[in-house]
Amino acid sequence: MKKEEDSILARCGNRRPFSTPEGYFDSLTESIMASLPAVAHEEPAKATLWSKAKVWVYMAACFIGMLFVFNFAVNTANRSDDGVQMADAGSEVYSDEYIDSFFETAMIDEYTLYCSLTQNGGFY
Amino acid sequence: MMPFNEEKVVEMLRKDEASKSRAFEQIVRQFSEPLYWQIRHMVYSHDDANDLLQNTFIKAWTNIDSFQGFSKISTWLYRIAINETLTFLNRQKAVQSVAIDDPEINLDERLEGDPYFDGNETETQLQEAIATLPEKQRMVFNLKYFEEMKYEDMSELLGTSVGALKASYHIAVKKIEEYFNNLD
Repeated sequence: MKKEEDSILARCGNRRPFSTPEGYFDSLTESIMASLPAVAHEEPAKATLWSKAKVWVYMAACFIGMLFVFNFAVNTANRSDDGVQMADAGSEVYSDEYIDSFFETAMIDEYTLYCSLTQNGGFY
Repeated sequence: MMPFNEEKVVEMLRKDEASKSRAFEQIVRQFSEPLYWQIRHMVYSHDDANDLLQNTFIKAWTNIDSFQGFSKISTWLYRIAINETLTFLNRQKAVQSVAIDDPEINLDERLEGDPYFDGNETETQLQEAIATLPEKQRMVFNLKYFEEMKYEDMSELLGTSVGALKASYHIAVKKIEEYFNNLD
């Protein structure tokens, strides 16, 4: 590496080819000091009631939101379960009282019903 | 003018506002010129270097209470200056992406029109060659080649191992040598 470095040094030297305006460094310290803010450290802003409480308010809002979503999800799942049970149950939807009242008003007696069932291959 | 005594300056920084301000003035007086040249070698333009130097000291002043004295003041200031410079260059690169794609042409024009550049032809070519290096390699090259800084000091400034810095400088020198070979 020394060889390459020497070759660059021999060719270009290591003088800084840059200059500055006349007297720039003489007044630089004063110019920098004049540009500084008055106080070194910024006073921390006073904490208001809202700034103290907002973290808790945000957390509570998140919690309520999560509860709402959870409730909604559970209710939706229950409703769809009920629908499945109704579809599976089929014939059990009607109560005994309803069936009794149906036979009372129908123009058919128990014997006729029995005959009808046995003639069509019914239960026996 | 009092000689710079780092321990005394750090002690003054812990005192009241007036002492703090006097201590900071000593810091500015001591480090503004070397910091200026480090920044200037990276950004080329005097105006940009001046702005970045001012920003560096403003940042140092507003964060002076966070300076614990674990590192040297020079290390702390150089790190702020390096960060400011790299942020500036990245922002500039984003704005002028087309120009940066061909830094030689761009830099050549810029240096020609710069009233504060007094380099001859080979010095201009060297600056063009340096401009082709990645930013961190460029920083290492400038510190070693122009400022003749020791690797150990550079390691403290840049937070990079001496071995990595040597490798970086070696690659930079090779690339610059190649650049000149292509010109010949």
